Amino acid sequence: MGDLIANLGLGFGTVFGLIPVDIPGLGVVPIPLNILLCFVGCLVGTLVGVLPGVGPVASIAMLLPITFKFDPTGALIMLAGIYYGAQYGGSTTAILVNIPGEATSVVTTLDGHQMARRGRAGVALGIAAIGSFFAGCVATVFIAAVGAPLTRLALIFGPAEYFSLMVMGLVFAVVLARGSILRAIAMILVGILFSTVGTDLETGQERMTFGMQFLSDGIDFAVLAMGLFGVAEILRNLDHTEVRDVVKQAIGRLLPSMQDMKDSAKPILRGTFIGGILGILPGNGAVLGPFASYTIEKKLAKDPRRFGQGAIEGVAGPESANNAGAQTSFIPLLTLGIPPNAVMALMVGAMTIHGIVPGPQVMTKNPSLFWGMIASMWVGNLMLLIINLPMIGLWVRLLKVPYRLMFPAILMFCSIGIYSINSLPTDVFFIGLFGLIGYALIKFGFEPAPLLLGFVLGKLMEENLRRALIISRGDMMTFIERPVSAVLLVIAIVMLALALLPSIRKSREEVFVDD
Amino acid sequence: MKRLVSAAIGVAALLGLSAAASAQGAYPNRPVRVVVPFAAGGTTDIFARLIADKLSQSLGQQFIIDNRGGAGGNIGADAVAKSPPDGYTLVMGTVGTHAINASLYSKMPYDPLNDFEGVAFAAGVPNLMVVNPKNVKATNVKDFIAEAKSSTKKFNMASSGNGTSIHLSGELFKQMTGIEMPHVPYRGSGPAINDLVGGQVDVMFDNLPSSIEQAKAGNLRALAVTSSRRSPALPDVPTLDESGLPGFEASSWFALFAPKGTPPDILNKLNAEVRKALEGEDLKRRFAELGGEIRPMSPAELMAYVRAEHAKWAQVVKASGAKLD
Repeated sequence: MGDLIANLGLGFGTVFGLIPVDIPGLGVVPIPLNILLCFVGCLVGTLVGVLPGVGPVASIAMLLPITFKFDPTGALIMLAGIYYGAQYGGSTTAILVNIPGEATSVVTTLDGHQMARRGRAGVALGIAAIGSFFAGCVATVFIAAVGAPLTRLALIFGPAEYFSLMVMGLVFAVVLARGSILRAIAMILVGILFSTVGTDLETGQERMTFGMQFLSDGIDFAVLAMGLFGVAEILRNLDHTEVRDVVKQAIGRLLPSMQDMKDSAKPILRGTFIGGILGILPGNGAVLGPFASYTIEKKLAKDPRRFGQGAIEGVAGPESANNAGAQTSFIPLLTLGIPPNAVMALMVGAMTIHGIVPGPQVMTKNPSLFWGMIASMWVGNLMLLIINLPMIGLWVRLLKVPYRLMFPAILMFCSIGIYSINSLPTDVFFIGLFGLIGYALIKFGFEPAPLLLGFVLGKLMEENLRRALIISRGDMMTFIERPVSAVLLVIAIVMLALALLPSIRKSREEVFVDD
Repeated sequence: MKRLVSAAIGVAALLGLSAAASAQGAYPNRPVRVVVPFAAGGTTDIFARLIADKLSQSLGQQFIIDNRGGAGGNIGADAVAKSPPDGYTLVMGTVGTHAINASLYSKMPYDPLNDFEGVAFAAGVPNLMVVNPKNVKATNVKDFIAEAKSSTKKFNMASSGNGTSIHLSGELFKQMTGIEMPHVPYRGSGPAINDLVGGQVDVMFDNLPSSIEQAKAGNLRALAVTSSRRSPALPDVPTLDESGLPGFEASSWFALFAPKGTPPDILNKLNAEVRKALEGEDLKRRFAELGGEIRPMSPAELMAYVRAEHAKWAQVVKASGAKLD
């Protein structure tokens, strides 16, 4: 315990310390450089992350070069700030214009955007910021205290466990569906089908690319999400101009009320816990956090029908899970030097560029960097709260802009955002195409969210299934023989049974009514 | 966003220059674009940035990094192959884009041997044969081969993806030793190392920089390096050539290329500047930290090296059945 406090002391010392900087015209002045970098990172990350479709990975990749001028600690603190900023910025876009910047904010669109439509955009943004801050604080202490032992969790998760976890994730997607379960399953399957486009990882065979080179890496998540959610939403709004609900509603409260806070307290706690645990898993386990949190809140709610209609629990829980996962996904990187996902791989690149070789010894070799980064996570979360609470008013006022001016701007930012990620003109065409598909789906009463989840989990599921079977020499029993995998599959079956039973019972009752 | 910024920088620099009315001066008189055909933060990107930074200083024009990833580097390399050969567009090519991919992909958008001029060799990085110390008893390559041949439970070999130098180094090892190890591909080195440390898989021929720290910490055991000489980063680890596989040589390498037809004086000028930068203390140290070995080559020597590598990997790809059709 004493060690922990001494280490955190070192970390906060690093973050708040004064560093002599040569300012032209003023000479060498000691300024709190790291805290400034943290602030600038959070601010820039928020602003770039708000661009539709530009999530944390794209934001960090774009802004990485500007950190090259600083010392390693400052640069990594700034990058971490960009990461949280972009993550939060993505949630803002999800709530305001229904465009998830990345997989983890898909869930936020479900109730977050519904809240915005009902004039509660400010409350949704506020609870997202507060939930994220709480989750970030808890996760930071968690990393500092038990980060090292938790690394073992990342190591027992092999391909078989991963496959079972993804099966469980898909069951969540069924539970998450608002309407018909059959339609939800259909959407998940379409999502999985989309995820198989591209070069096969094992054989190198090109699948469903029609010989087009830009499809050889598969469909980009941002392209799919922006089309199905963003562009489809615009088409839908233009189609019935009478009820342009986003614009017409009164703005309402800017910040959550006491009642809102009370409703959100438990979802935030649960979301933090679930997101934090899933965040440690390698290979983007954090993706499942918000989905799991949403599913649990919906199951626990007295009236699950409110979900999808602007339930505040549906924003508070997933947003907390999202941020807790974002923090704990640093654990494998910090303790082992192994990047668990694309964002962390970029962090490894940044460390390497600054001459720090990431590995199990970073903690002992560069203690001020290690603990400085952990302390900066907490400071970064505070910064986000400070930056974003005042900005809520600004964002909400944006919604007052007449829709005829708003939608061309959204479309333009979508196009700029998507083009800036891969510099591919075809990506811009594809958001249009997926927009039309999304519009058709809405018209026929299909929801796009399960499709996106199927898309995200489908690829992970297929690859891990095949890896597990190569390792077991084709023996399917591997999924049952490995205890962690078996437990996950049992949970999945129980969840599915719970989801299906009421609808079976209901249809039976309906049969009786008909009689 | 970054592309917008770099475009803006480019436009601003152009305007400034034309105002100075000296646009016809010696090369370079405007910013040079260095395409990195992979995402920011990877080894290719890091080498490119370190060199570009030095070139910007020594040649007085910005060398701007443009990350254009996708299709194993083919998208970025293809963009450069089809750019005007004026020395203002270069690509940081790799063993993938300029040697392996041509044998791997059935439809190559460019010809790595005839669509490019060599500029300068940046670095070669050996791969490191690492095993999980709990699953594998052997402490040297000879014992490993014996253990793999005797045990009924075959070892599994992880890689960062089909057709990467990590995968093909392993395939070359399998071909030369005759042992059978199923190949388990991952998306990138990170998740593969995670499962190797966790003991889900048994062996990998990883790029040296991403596994050297794991080996030093005892999470993995290094058996050999794949280059023809020992790596200064791990002087105690033998080469595979020393370990009973004579002639084994498989490195990842990185080199600058320009579109075919770029004037020789530009190539020579860039070649001289890159070599000067690589011999400076700063880059020497940084490259050594990354496991990069510097080998001075002229543009013509570079193209000869590329042709030899192209032929070598074509054989490995053919024998391994890794071809992408």
